[in-house]
Amino acid sequence: MALTQVSSNKCCGGFQKVFEHNSSELKCRMKFGIYLPPKAESSKCPVLYWLSGLTCTEQNFITKAGSQQAASEHGLIIVAPDTSPRGCNIEGEDESWDFGTGAGFYVNATNEPWKTNYRMYAYVTEELPRLINAHFPADPEKMSISGHSMGGHGALICALKNPGKYKAVSAFAPICNPMQCAWGQKAFSGYLGSEKTAWEAYDATVLAGSYSGPQLDILIDQGRDDQFLSAGQLLPDNLIAACTEKKIPVVFRLQQGYDHSYFFIYSFINDHIKHHSKYLNA
Amino acid sequence: MDLYTTGDRLEVIAEEDTETEQEPEPADENLCNADECGTAGQYGMWDKAGIDVELPTNEPYVLVAEKNGGPRGSGGEMVLMDLPDKKETSPPVSTFQRFSVETNESLCFEPYIPSDEEEPGQLRQESGNAVYSDEVFEVEPGTGRPGGKSIGDPAGGGAVEDLAGAGEPEAADVFCTECKTTIQRPLGPHKNHCLVQITKASMEIKNDLCAKVHKLEEQIAQMENFAGHLEEIFITVEENFGRQEQNLEQHYNDVIQTLTQRYDERASGLEDEKKVKLETLYTQLVDCGKTLDVSKELIEAAQEVYRNEDKLAFLQAVIPTIDRIEDFTKEEVDLSLAANMEFENSVVDLSDVKQMMESINIVPAPSAPVINPQVPNSAGSTSVRVCWSLFSDDTVEYYELHYRPVLEDTTAEEPPAEESKVKVKETYRTVTDLLPNAQYEFWVTATNTTGISPPSEKAVYMTVPSPPVIKPRECASCPSAALIRWESGNTNPVDSYTVELSETGEETSDTVTVAESIVAVPTCECLVQLQPGRQYCISVRAVNIGGPSERSHPVNVHTTGTFFHLLEDTAHPCLSISEDGFTMFYGDEDIPISDMIFSDNTFAQCVAVLGELIPVRGTHYWEVEVEDRTEFRIGVAYQDTQRNGYLGGNNTSWCMRHVVTPSRHKYEFLHNGWTPDIRITINPRRIGVCLDYDAGKLSFFNASLSQHLYTFECHFLHYVHPCFALDHPGTLTVHNGIEAPDYARYT
Repeated sequence: MALTQVSSNKCCGGFQKVFEHNSSELKCRMKFGIYLPPKAESSKCPVLYWLSGLTCTEQNFITKAGSQQAASEHGLIIVAPDTSPRGCNIEGEDESWDFGTGAGFYVNATNEPWKTNYRMYAYVTEELPRLINAHFPADPEKMSISGHSMGGHGALICALKNPGKYKAVSAFAPICNPMQCAWGQKAFSGYLGSEKTAWEAYDATVLAGSYSGPQLDILIDQGRDDQFLSAGQLLPDNLIAACTEKKIPVVFRLQQGYDHSYFFIYSFINDHIKHHSKYLNA
Repeated sequence: MDLYTTGDRLEVIAEEDTETEQEPEPADENLCNADECGTAGQYGMWDKAGIDVELPTNEPYVLVAEKNGGPRGSGGEMVLMDLPDKKETSPPVSTFQRFSVETNESLCFEPYIPSDEEEPGQLRQESGNAVYSDEVFEVEPGTGRPGGKSIGDPAGGGAVEDLAGAGEPEAADVFCTECKTTIQRPLGPHKNHCLVQITKASMEIKNDLCAKVHKLEEQIAQMENFAGHLEEIFITVEENFGRQEQNLEQHYNDVIQTLTQRYDERASGLEDEKKVKLETLYTQLVDCGKTLDVSKELIEAAQEVYRNEDKLAFLQAVIPTIDRIEDFTKEEVDLSLAANMEFENSVVDLSDVKQMMESINIVPAPSAPVINPQVPNSAGSTSVRVCWSLFSDDTVEYYELHYRPVLEDTTAEEPPAEESKVKVKETYRTVTDLLPNAQYEFWVTATNTTGISPPSEKAVYMTVPSPPVIKPRECASCPSAALIRWESGNTNPVDSYTVELSETGEETSDTVTVAESIVAVPTCECLVQLQPGRQYCISVRAVNIGGPSERSHPVNVHTTGTFFHLLEDTAHPCLSISEDGFTMFYGDEDIPISDMIFSDNTFAQCVAVLGELIPVRGTHYWEVEVEDRTEFRIGVAYQDTQRNGYLGGNNTSWCMRHVVTPSRHKYEFLHNGWTPDIRITINPRRIGVCLDYDAGKLSFFNASLSQHLYTFECHFLHYVHPCFALDHPGTLTVHNGIEAPDYARYT
């Protein structure tokens, strides 16, 4: 569980750092970014886990989203892990951008040859929080989760599958119903096999339909000019319908003119950090 | 801080005497004029170099005393005193003394009290009181005294050197409280006395002195009051005595006049009588003479006849003569006195004079009483207590107090208001059954056995107003303030209002102690600053010259949240508002347009109403309860938002709108006709609205879920009002006085 500091930069009064460690779940070296607000020097802080989208590493969020200012103000630690195991020498892992490396889809793979390494769900919900709580001034009782695109899907399923574990959840342009879109079908069949019932355990829309637990308050931002929205990869309407049916509170904001990029994230990250802070600092 | 190293110095020597000493008279006290004080203050303490150079021995020099706070003070003053006095009253030499010999060889000094020990107020009182100032001194043992020393050296005068010598470092450092003197060590006879550090002693004595001065000041104020009163009495007594004197003179003049008249009457009467009697007597005398003449003539005639020899002739002649004599003697001679020799001793009636004489000695009629002006807080809303006084010399059986209302609006033609009067034994009377907030003219006469006094001057008394009536429906509050509005309760204007507030606990008790008053409120509304999370009881009094009215019925204010009422005059005719004023209905039945009454202030298109938010910036929060299918618009709008437009459709209103479409519930957050595209999965039934002026935000929440829905960002230029509208028949209820939830901060 030894951590190696890769980089450390002072930022907004705190520090933006990157660490590397040997992951027991993923059986490889993994990096993650962590922002420590000034408040972390004197007391324990809540942790917001950020799950990035397809092709991303731990770098994208910390360099592009501009989350540090708000995190500094609200006293939140933000942990941004990588999006998949890397360098596992699995055949075909680097063949496509939407599967394998950089596309772990936050599932525990059950299919060969992925099932040994591709356990991102276990990594982000178990191993990583343990690691953070052990090495940083994190309040283990107060964690929340957010993400973008594939990471938005990850955030939603983590929250829906673990009632009460995350105090808040939000997402930017999440893949809301992966079983119904090309990306999800490709990834799920690769990692989980062709049995669709196994997929349901990782589909936010399906999970929302059977959710039972503490009241959630889900904030979702979606760019209206997102090419993947029109391509039918994200399917937010299905999730909204399920949540309306199930009386799960969602505020879904369709932001006019925005696309799928980090510029879009940058524009609304403050609203999301406030949303998390409201529940983490309550 | 070194106060004495200023480069400037005050150059005052004999030749330039006029510069600081414009009145060379050997005054005991000589307050220099303000300019000089300013100069003195600015220049501060004597500069050693300057004195060494400038001051010739035995030449007069001038003391400059700092009294108002060191070199920066502008109120320094100069006090000149005679040397002997100075010697007696001088403290053991102070570090800060400065001296001066004037041309008439009087030596002056003034102790200097360091500025940090001084209280400006105290010192102002000292101004112009040299003796008193002398008693306030400060001795700082062990410090040099550049002022005294440097002056003393060149001066060389005995007295000055004495003072300089006493200022050596072994200056007294303790104070014996029993002997009331400062002591140098060794203690000697004071060994067993109670000794106090000199600084402490001086402090204590100073405090003591201050207290005494304060007392004296109070006495002065009292004496001034009393002197004023005495002056008044002096004048009236003088007047009254003048009147008495006049009265006396008048009386005596009357008596003397009467007597003179009587004398004249009597004298002329006597004269007349004398004249009559003398005339009578004279006439009688004349008559006597005539009779005598006739007798003599007859005798002569008889004798002549008798001598006639001729008998015949004799006989012929004698008969007529005898007849004449017989005729004559037949007439009896009246020998009684025609006039009465007795004086007619008529009785002189002097009873009236006697009465006049007596009346001078009995009780005079009283002088006009002096009616007092109205005393504060002596009036009620229907009564006033009127007081007057008499002069000690007057004896009064009873007074008559007259009064009549002062009607300001009456024109000259109208007769003056009816006058009332009441008999009073005392010199005061509480007159009742008056009208509130009205002026009455009072005057008083005094009566005793002798008569009635002239009326006193007229004094105008005023009854206090009726208590105002708070209009609870027009009051508003928020955690930091309350807006209270009331009706005057009086038909004619009052001078001002006083708002009284007190904090009450959970149980409102009847005995309310006023914690704070806001006085001189000119209009019928007042914005009161309050503390959040408390409970207050606020009442209002109306005030005029006569004093304050009774308290109005109080209004209770809770500063937990923002509280407002709806401005019902803005409501669209289709919108009816419940009795309590917080629920609005838009009924199903169609009202024909012709039956609708619109004013300039009513919403004509949108079935809407405004609430009246307290005009206080900060954060305001309220909640609105709606039904699942209620189509509403709620938010805020400027007071003058277009009445013929729809809320949110213009740039003067911001609102959340709920639209029910066949497929779903649609929520819009409208401003200027534009809304973001937002989907909400759970229809809010209770909507929290949070207006934060400072952050420029208007946020909407699903209050039952603590869910943030949307935030408008807008820096409101003016105060806004809550607005509510129903787009279709339905019901909407406003919930007020709710504390803004914590989560409202995260927007």
